[in-house]
Amino acid sequence: MAVWIFSKTQGAEHLNLRQFFSTALACLPMVFILNIAQAQETITISGSTTVAPIASRAAEAFLVNRPEIRILVNGGGSGVGINAVGSGLAQIGMASRMITPRELSRFERSQLKAHAVGRDGVACAISASIYNAGVRALTREQIAGIYLGKIKNWSALGGPDSAIVVIDKERHRGTRHVFMNYVFGDANARTPGARLVTGSNNEERAKIAQSDAAIGMLSLAWLNDAVKGVAIQEGDARIEPSVANVRSGAYPITRDLLFVTAGEPVGAVKEFMEFIYGPKGKEIVVDSGYIPIERP
Amino acid sequence: MNVLEKRPTDPLFWFSALSAGLTLLIGLGFYVYLFWASWPLWRDHSLSFFTSTDWFPGESYGALAMIYGSVMVSTLALVTALPFALAGAVTASEFLSPRLRLVFKAAMELMAGVPGIVYGLLGAALLALWVKDWFGLIDGNTLFTAGILLGVMILPTIMTLAEDAIHSVPREFRETAASLGLPPLQAFFRVVFPQALPGIVGAVLLGLGRALGETIAVMLVIGGLDMIPSPWFDWFAPGQSIPSKLGREAAEAIGSGMHWNALLGLGCALFSGSMLLTGFGSYLLRRRQR
Repeated sequence: MAVWIFSKTQGAEHLNLRQFFSTALACLPMVFILNIAQAQETITISGSTTVAPIASRAAEAFLVNRPEIRILVNGGGSGVGINAVGSGLAQIGMASRMITPRELSRFERSQLKAHAVGRDGVACAISASIYNAGVRALTREQIAGIYLGKIKNWSALGGPDSAIVVIDKERHRGTRHVFMNYVFGDANARTPGARLVTGSNNEERAKIAQSDAAIGMLSLAWLNDAVKGVAIQEGDARIEPSVANVRSGAYPITRDLLFVTAGEPVGAVKEFMEFIYGPKGKEIVVDSGYIPIERP
Repeated sequence: MNVLEKRPTDPLFWFSALSAGLTLLIGLGFYVYLFWASWPLWRDHSLSFFTSTDWFPGESYGALAMIYGSVMVSTLALVTALPFALAGAVTASEFLSPRLRLVFKAAMELMAGVPGIVYGLLGAALLALWVKDWFGLIDGNTLFTAGILLGVMILPTIMTLAEDAIHSVPREFRETAASLGLPPLQAFFRVVFPQALPGIVGAVLLGLGRALGETIAVMLVIGGLDMIPSPWFDWFAPGQSIPSKLGREAAEAIGSGMHWNALLGLGCALFSGSMLLTGFGSYLLRRRQR
């Protein structure tokens, strides 16, 4: 239609170029449709950024033998993952916490099923300069005091005289649920002492590393030289956040890493899940910094 | 009375009219949908949505902190950008040689097209740390940081559009002013500037629109706390703007009842705010021209 209008109203000398562009524009949607038709099956995975490394590495390895399948891995957080699979936006949702009863009832029709693929600990992470200045362990009460805004300076905890930059996470994040559950016994606890709110593990780690006086919560696999995990002091015991302590069950803040599907997985999703529970998948879980779990 | 000036036989008319109608319809549809979909919020909370600062999904939805953050950050951005934008526009239009002016314009337009996320990355990696060091703060993710970053971001947009407005004032105006003996400075402020003002206001409004709607750049440096600092003008405190709130919570809340309604309500507030601004801007202009 556009071509016709131009030919009626404009001189003929520019017609060819116009015609070309109009035709190209009209063909664009068709190109997309063809593209979609070509890929046989697409698995969309979204959710927890803690679980995402497992999913993307597994996808890469899985697709070597199945090039006709497409796998898309997105972040967003556990709440987003469960929401996405519950409302049919994704085939697999990643979650680093249990599905809450509220979510189960909200997505009752989708029959959410959780598949634990790994185990992980949540560290209370602090800036390296505070760690190196001598803050090596915190009790649950101390962490709670910090997040409630009652303890405001590192000097009260054996550290340097420096205000504490308290970093909280978005409320729907799995890491926050697990951490707050330990500290306050309430996954949705309010934290009046917070100074910053971050989202993904990457963002949280970057903000802690940028500051020299920060405290936050981070999956064990994300700790590095700039962001250190303090030990949890329980009575006389000082429990280091280490893979060994998570494996033995000594470390108190742990969670299962979940792949969530709507009902039992079928087709390519089922194949992918089996791949993750297989020997190569277990290797990937370990490489990502987590502890593999046997298929229940 | 016939509202159409030309007889609608030309196929070009039908095509353009269709496009115009579609645009109007989509704009209106957006607004109606936002109101309709956030209706449960207005029904249950009505005014308290605008007066409370407590936002806790599942319990309470108060938008005041986000509205405050948006106003604060956009104002800061405008105050930062406006002097530089106008000075740059005047320089480019009145003093640069035609060739240099084109180079300058091309650079501005290139910068105006840089996506927000790029500014966000630079803001999070550099500006937040600089602000922290310059002002001796415990942390650099503040309303101030977001405002400055937005100011830098909207600067090229305002500058290039304002320059267009100034440059499009016909040469005769300047020549007549000069021949009447007005010195260049006076000629500019008494003759050229008033002529260009509608265009400049339009440029500012477009820049402000970009600032109001910017999500990711603000989200990365504003701190993400739903609070109004005390005292309220303490811009070195963390805060939250409406788009950054939506960016952080939208994906999780889709279809989740009141939480979703409340986020749509925030969108409604943002939409109304920018419409009010645009309306106010064009009202001012119309009053001037009378």
